[in-house]
Amino acid sequence: MVEVTRRLLRTPQGALGAAVLAVVALVCLFGPLIAPYDPEQMDFLGRFAVPGAHHWLGADQLGRDEMSRLLYGARATVPPALLATLAGTLAGAIVGTLAAFAGGRWDEAIMRTIDAVMAIPGLLIALLVASTLGAGEGGALLAIAIAFAPGMARITRSVALAVRQEDYVAAAIARGETGLRIVFAEMLPNALAPVVVESTIRVAFAVMLMATLSFLGVGAQPPASEWGLMVSDGRGYLHDAPWLVIVPGLAIGITAIGFNLLGDGLRDALNPRGER
Amino acid sequence: MTPLLDIAGLTLDYRTRSGTVRVLDNVSLSVAPGEVLGIVGESGAGKSSLAMAIMGRLAGNARLTGGTIRLGTDDLAAQTARAMRRIRGRRIGMVFQNPATSLNPTLTLGRQIVEVLVRHRGLTAGAAWREAASWLERVELRHAAELMRRYPHEASGGEKQRVAIASAFAPQPELVLFDEPTTALDVITGARVLDLFRRLRAETGVAGLYISHDLGLVARVADRVAVMQRGRIIESELPRRIFAMPAQDYTRRLVDAVPRPQNRLVQDEPASAELLCAEAISVSYGRRRLFRSRSAKGISGLGFSIREGEILGVVGESGSGKSTLARALAGLVARSGEIRLEGVPVTRMGRDYRRAVQIVFQHPDSSLNPRQRVCDLLARPLCLYGGSTGDIPDLLRQVNLPPEYASRWPHQLSGGEKQRVAIARAFAARPRLVICDEITASLDASVQAVTIALLLELRRRYGTAYLFITHDLNLVRQIAHRLLVMRHGTLVDQIAIGTLGTGREHEYTRQLMAASPTPVGEETRT
Amino acid sequence: MSPAWLLRRLLLMAYTLLVVSILVFAITQILPADAAVTMLGQDATPAALAALRAKLGLADPVWLQFWHWFSAVLRGDFGISMRTGLPVGPTMLTALSRSLLLAVCSLSLMLVIAIPLGVLAALRQGRALDLAVGLISYLGISLPEFVTATLVLVVLADRLQWLPATGYVPPSEHLLDGIRHLVAPVLTVSLVLIAHVSRMMRSETIDVLASDYVLAADLKGLAPPTVLLRHVMRNALLPVISVVALDVGYLLGGIIVVEEIFAIPGIGRALLVAIQNRDLPAIQAGALIMAATYAVVNLLADIAYAVLDPRLRYG
Repeated sequence: MVEVTRRLLRTPQGALGAAVLAVVALVCLFGPLIAPYDPEQMDFLGRFAVPGAHHWLGADQLGRDEMSRLLYGARATVPPALLATLAGTLAGAIVGTLAAFAGGRWDEAIMRTIDAVMAIPGLLIALLVASTLGAGEGGALLAIAIAFAPGMARITRSVALAVRQEDYVAAAIARGETGLRIVFAEMLPNALAPVVVESTIRVAFAVMLMATLSFLGVGAQPPASEWGLMVSDGRGYLHDAPWLVIVPGLAIGITAIGFNLLGDGLRDALNPRGER
Repeated sequence: MTPLLDIAGLTLDYRTRSGTVRVLDNVSLSVAPGEVLGIVGESGAGKSSLAMAIMGRLAGNARLTGGTIRLGTDDLAAQTARAMRRIRGRRIGMVFQNPATSLNPTLTLGRQIVEVLVRHRGLTAGAAWREAASWLERVELRHAAELMRRYPHEASGGEKQRVAIASAFAPQPELVLFDEPTTALDVITGARVLDLFRRLRAETGVAGLYISHDLGLVARVADRVAVMQRGRIIESELPRRIFAMPAQDYTRRLVDAVPRPQNRLVQDEPASAELLCAEAISVSYGRRRLFRSRSAKGISGLGFSIREGEILGVVGESGSGKSTLARALAGLVARSGEIRLEGVPVTRMGRDYRRAVQIVFQHPDSSLNPRQRVCDLLARPLCLYGGSTGDIPDLLRQVNLPPEYASRWPHQLSGGEKQRVAIARAFAARPRLVICDEITASLDASVQAVTIALLLELRRRYGTAYLFITHDLNLVRQIAHRLLVMRHGTLVDQIAIGTLGTGREHEYTRQLMAASPTPVGEETRT
Repeated sequence: MSPAWLLRRLLLMAYTLLVVSILVFAITQILPADAAVTMLGQDATPAALAALRAKLGLADPVWLQFWHWFSAVLRGDFGISMRTGLPVGPTMLTALSRSLLLAVCSLSLMLVIAIPLGVLAALRQGRALDLAVGLISYLGISLPEFVTATLVLVVLADRLQWLPATGYVPPSEHLLDGIRHLVAPVLTVSLVLIAHVSRMMRSETIDVLASDYVLAADLKGLAPPTVLLRHVMRNALLPVISVVALDVGYLLGGIIVVEEIFAIPGIGRALLVAIQNRDLPAIQAGALIMAATYAVVNLLADIAYAVLDPRLRYG
């Protein structure tokens, strides 16, 4: 673990991604403590305040401080995205592993069905699921998890099949190891790395989806401070107060870049045959 | 006579993160018109870098720090990139090691010769097509017209290599570089490609630079042999003299490492007690498309036995089912037929059988779990079969590795060291029979010799029997007591080593023997 | 490409559409919506509601309802919109045609930019251009469409006044105006695709450049353009075809957002409106048509792949 972290921080992408995400994590943890205002406190005299000494990042159409909303908003976007990815990865990994081990017709049937589900765009699945569950953060979270599961199942399956072909698995069978031991001691450590890399990159996706669902009105609901919702709110005032869309938009982008960079860095760091 | 290729004092460095590495150190050599110079060296000796330096296609981090390369009167190192592209292919042709990867998979074989003719001889497409077809006939390919329209994956390895040779010879170059052109081919196919090379050489009078790791092979095709070690040419001699009186220690080791059938490494005869008996072993790979089985082919109706402490060799070309047999005996694939261990039929592969029969695979990169340290790799079989982790240092010493290696990861070991760890892992179970599936195929000749010596030492100590699978007939004739010859998944011959060459062997075995010649100057003693 | 392969591929496509139909129908069953209430409004009398429910077959068992719907779909009848009272099928297909214009333009722009960009980055690996392309592609894959779209609007429409803000003008009616209205949405949709495909093209090109056959082609003394086009690109493009086909799924999702923001009356917007209004027949039709589009594109990509890669031709 320490070793992987050391190698991760040595790759340029990994180091940059980790730095970006460290800031995001700090904001998630301590954002409300350092926020200068209550994010929902309206101030009709300060409507559309230009970024400056009073409001570092300006104020919105209701006079709410943009900076405070941004700091609070991290919690509404990033942790649910992480959770949704985790849930989707777990569900997908279970199905994918089962398919790989069942083999034959079961494998064929499961994978063809997953291919079929993937014909529906992920955003559409998320939209439909979120609307069935009713608008709100919980619904959006579950919707993203469900949208991710088929893709993760596919990846897990192909990784499991590739690892199964390795001679060290054959060597374990030949020396009479139990099935459980082969799966957990020989295959899992090698199969884990690609799945971890893929799901890290998918967190970036989840952050974007989470915000998109809020933007479309099926995620977080007003007056919550959520980044996607903030962009949606600010859209009406593009001409007079462009910072209302630029600031939360960049926050989403930077967070997503962080996860994308971290994922690429992990890909290099987790390669056991890599140089050191 | 002025040399065609003249290299003087060539020095080449690679800049890497950990500093400058010298890959060619003051290399001087010359090739006269019509002469073939062989270059022998083990991996990392700088053979390929030398070829790339001549071709003027060095990696971005390479720096020529000294020396000249002359082709006729032209200094190749001083050519512009543009001029160099008129020399490559046109005046210097090249044939690569693996025809499966050196031909473009999405172009027909014909087009890959035609494009050279169009480029270098200025032929029109139609004329080039006819010329290319006639070249395919010259490299002894039948149905040339049809082959021209085929894609690489639709041709056999031998056919592909002949196409590659045709595209190197078609522009009528003065010099052809051969980079291990038969290494990726089967023994008999490789021997026929060599025959072709000799014939083309006689017909065209082309000069050649023949690079290989195989001293025995180079000595047969080259007029002179240069031995490379760590970027230097340490010796350059006539083939016969290299074998008769090598001047350098390193050359001596290489010469000794060439397997010679007459040089038996095992003198004893095995006990008469039967250890394992296999009857009518068959394996068939159905259409299991999802678990793509590697290129292993099925086997049918194999029957043989191994005695206590016997070394039973198995030879055959790729696809003959050798590895499938190994996997069937190790219980890795479903089989039909009966296996008896010391007379007791084996119904399911239980602990006793697994303990008694161990397997070592060809590629240690794949057979050692990259996420386990050497101590973890060795601890498992010890735990399973009643040893303790305290035995790990002993186990390592047995395979001539220092005990400190216990804390290393597989990727920190060299190829030979990895294979020794794999052997130690097999011996941790104190097996009666070890299946060795091409375990030296990916190793250098000198490392192969050391590994074989290690196996024989372990056998002396424990009386272990080996099922030794290889494509190298000469190697197996040095150590095996008996030989199984496989072809297309069946057993064509089963013969004692001493009986080989007496006329009692199968016709196919005789072909294999003819394709595996012994070193020059030593033929008479076969 | 054998007939058996094609048949199998077509059967798979039929299976895909069947699974999607079941899934879409199941989700619309769970949606908290009462079709009768949606159609008659909140203050309809209970008697009227009951009569309509019976007429719509809402009392039937679920599988029977599915069968009625599915057999109608097979005849090309997607039902009547609960919101507008018009047949859903023709409405959705008209919307699809507008979306396809947007999709085809975006895909073409993407191909024209992403492929050369990826190849150039691979050829200049580690240099400034490569890093710049890498940076742009990180941005592209990290900005959701609604952010990109909004930023495009702020810059091109509001600050620079180069483009009209939103709206849709059919290019068939007014060519120039139609194109001007398409620029911003096409830019938005293609940015993500450019980012993704150029990254893919770069890594494929790097792999092919390291292959033996490219080295061999170079050492045969072939001219650099020949090596690049005939040996490098020909092989590097193959895997990119299937990635582009998979990206079409992503593109269809992105279209929902982009059409909403730019007020383009395409299938994405129609779906969003249907979801917001719980217009079940419209949701079913829209989702099914989107999935069918994706399936057809992937079938075409598979065929293209099989034609271009001789190794698969007889698979």
